[in-house]
Amino acid sequence: MSKYLLKSAVAAIALLCAAPIAAQELILGLRAGPDSIDPHWSTLGSQAEALRHVFDTLVDVDETLQLKPGLAVSWEPVDDTTWEFKLREGVTFHDGSPFTAEDVKFSIERIPAVTGPMSMTLYTKYVDSVEVVDDYTLRVTTKGIAPALPNDFTRLFVVPSETGMEAGNEEFNSGEKAIGTGPYTFVSWQPKGDMVLERYADYWGEAPAWERVVRKEIPDDAARVAALRSGQVNMINYVPASDYLAMQNDGDIETFVSDSIYILNVQPSVKDEEPQPITVDGEPVDGNPLQDKRVREALDLAINRDVLVDVVLEGLGTPANQLMPEGFFGYSDKIGEKPYDIEKAKALMAEAGYPDGFEVDFTCTNNRVPGDAVVCEALAQMWSRLGLTVNAQALNGTVFFPAAAREEYTMAMSAWGTLTGEAAYTYGAMVHSKDDEKGFGNFNRTGYSNPEFDEVFVRGTQTLDPEERRKLYEQASEIAMEDRALIPTVILQTVWAADADTLDFTPRVDQETRAYAITPAAAQ
Amino acid sequence: MFGFLLQRLIQAAIVVFAMSVIVFLGVYAIGNPIDVLIDPGATAEIRENLIRQYGLDQPLWRQYLTFVGNVAHGDLGTSMVYNIPVTDLVFSRLPATLELVFVSVCIATFVGIPAGLYAGYKPDTVGAKAIMALSVLGFSVPTFWIGMLLIMGFAVQLGWLPSGGRGDVGTLLWIRTSLATADGWSHVIMPAINLSLFNMGLLIRLTRAGMVEAMSTDYVKFARAQGLPDRQIVFRHILRNISIPIVTVFGLELGSTLAFAVVTESVFNWPGVGKLIIDSILQLDRPVMVSYLVLVVILFVLINLTVDLVYARLDPRVRLRGGGE
Repeated sequence: MSKYLLKSAVAAIALLCAAPIAAQELILGLRAGPDSIDPHWSTLGSQAEALRHVFDTLVDVDETLQLKPGLAVSWEPVDDTTWEFKLREGVTFHDGSPFTAEDVKFSIERIPAVTGPMSMTLYTKYVDSVEVVDDYTLRVTTKGIAPALPNDFTRLFVVPSETGMEAGNEEFNSGEKAIGTGPYTFVSWQPKGDMVLERYADYWGEAPAWERVVRKEIPDDAARVAALRSGQVNMINYVPASDYLAMQNDGDIETFVSDSIYILNVQPSVKDEEPQPITVDGEPVDGNPLQDKRVREALDLAINRDVLVDVVLEGLGTPANQLMPEGFFGYSDKIGEKPYDIEKAKALMAEAGYPDGFEVDFTCTNNRVPGDAVVCEALAQMWSRLGLTVNAQALNGTVFFPAAAREEYTMAMSAWGTLTGEAAYTYGAMVHSKDDEKGFGNFNRTGYSNPEFDEVFVRGTQTLDPEERRKLYEQASEIAMEDRALIPTVILQTVWAADADTLDFTPRVDQETRAYAITPAAAQ
Repeated sequence: MFGFLLQRLIQAAIVVFAMSVIVFLGVYAIGNPIDVLIDPGATAEIRENLIRQYGLDQPLWRQYLTFVGNVAHGDLGTSMVYNIPVTDLVFSRLPATLELVFVSVCIATFVGIPAGLYAGYKPDTVGAKAIMALSVLGFSVPTFWIGMLLIMGFAVQLGWLPSGGRGDVGTLLWIRTSLATADGWSHVIMPAINLSLFNMGLLIRLTRAGMVEAMSTDYVKFARAQGLPDRQIVFRHILRNISIPIVTVFGLELGSTLAFAVVTESVFNWPGVGKLIIDSILQLDRPVMVSYLVLVVILFVLINLTVDLVYARLDPRVRLRGGGE
């Protein structure tokens, strides 16, 4: 009898332990979460990623950042300065009220009133006025020609017009105003804590697989990995390279790897006087050697991108040959793979008058993206083969970015992601000459200015025909890369990990972890 | 007593003032928070607008005066990142840190002091030597490393305890705390042990030293000669006499444990104020940084004040010098 009891007790305990974390619940361990539940507060990627579950955007993007319908089913330019959006019918907000064009108009107009230091006005800067034609048709008049408006609206989260202008973060954080049309309804959230979501029964799209989703914010890499290994969460993002290697040999854990949009770019200052002196034998050299295209080309040729990927990044990267990953709008196929040729590089340096190289400071971030500091040090070593003395310095982003904004670095490296999936975002900010009036070049810290590039690029921004525009952007890519305006090194990859054979997930280049795109693994 | 309090408060005010100036200067020297926070796609116009909106275009002294003015009205400012009042932000995280520190200090005290007493009472036994060896480990091995080992052992390998987070929160005596639920305790116990190790090592060594010294003093010899049981000698006489250094160090350590539990909080993903301040530093969220440090200063002052009051209770001579009650 007692034996029987013991057996059944053991069986019961085994059952209890083996029971999967409530089959309908998905618990995610994520590096970052939202700063607020107000979808118009911040442009931060982690903010958009989290709020996407509750709110829908007017235009959506697929795994490779190509546009696809969201709350708008179609969009087209009516004339040079007007875009018309056709909206989806039969969509309801979580409080049951129907979604109409008024809500979109309200959302666009609300942004300037409530946005924070990471200003969402970035995505509405081309909007001049919004006109509601009927319940499901909306016309947006733009300031000048704005071919990228639908790209900008991939971050336009729609809230009901009843929200009212005075509603702020508090009303959203408490859940009172956290009403969207998204696949999940908001349950609760704490700053830097858990965000809890529940499936919305009347969602217009495909019903998500999980009844309940908990997004746990675990910024520490080791803590996140431990949470997965101890079974506290079903899936984690941003697996560090060292753990990735261990997981490869671990049958209990499955990893998902994808290219990201983030590329580490070297930014050589080409100003007449370099911010930090470049020296030969301790003496500052005349003029700025980096102004010489041969020197920049030599720096480029001396980078062994395969070594960066295979050795330095433990395989978690792809060599980059331009400022955007392949397939993005404006990526040029004509730019071939970047060769590694140290002899040619040395010859170019000698030709430019620096046969013995020079000494230069090289600054980068050490906490912004995985691998930034190690790539930085590896580059310094690669350039030392060229005869240069490179003082590599990896700094915390808190220190790096303000100083970079003051243009205090002669050579810097930081990660850049083409968030909108098209070239205007990247080239307009980093390569176009600094021009506050046109709003271009605000992240051009190198002083690079090429009238030919500017002309081609600006023509692109004013062309509504997509094919024509694509060609112009590709041409702009070619000019900038030929000039070595910036030197792209590697495309970083992102790793997710989950318990083996439990989940199906297609990684995205924008690194977003969308709970409704994760499904239980198909039965075997 | 009143004069003593007043003197303490004036000191505190000066420290708080100096602290806020240092933090302000420090953040100002690093640069504009907007450059850390701003989205890469923002135009120069958007940037200028933001700088103006947050008053960062003003000269430093004016920004500082505005801050002081707000504090005078009881307003510690609003977080730039979360756009909620700093006081709300800090106080929403404080209970988590307090309960962690409370449990850790209890562990340190109720394990450390008896262990120290034992090690001092019978210094030549194997047990005493083992305690002393472990106490050295307690404050010489880095906290984060022990934390990782604990996680690897008890969470990942054995699966007994959760690897991080705060767990279910219940209500105990009108306070929302995870100490009210079993799940909460399972979450708090590992980080608390981790956080207690340093203090425990310190308490063990202090207590032992005091004990060894006291054992050879005359009053202990007389007490023994009188035939008092050892238990009474140790707990009623020796412990009381060696308490003053213990209380001093305990007070100091309590303050720094509270203020800088950040390593343990990071490793165990504990949602306390330590993590909040680190996040704020990484984003140059100045209102939170300044207010938090000011709160820490106030905290230290309060703890030291309490320590002084406890002295008075323990040692009558202190009470007399304090001016009488």
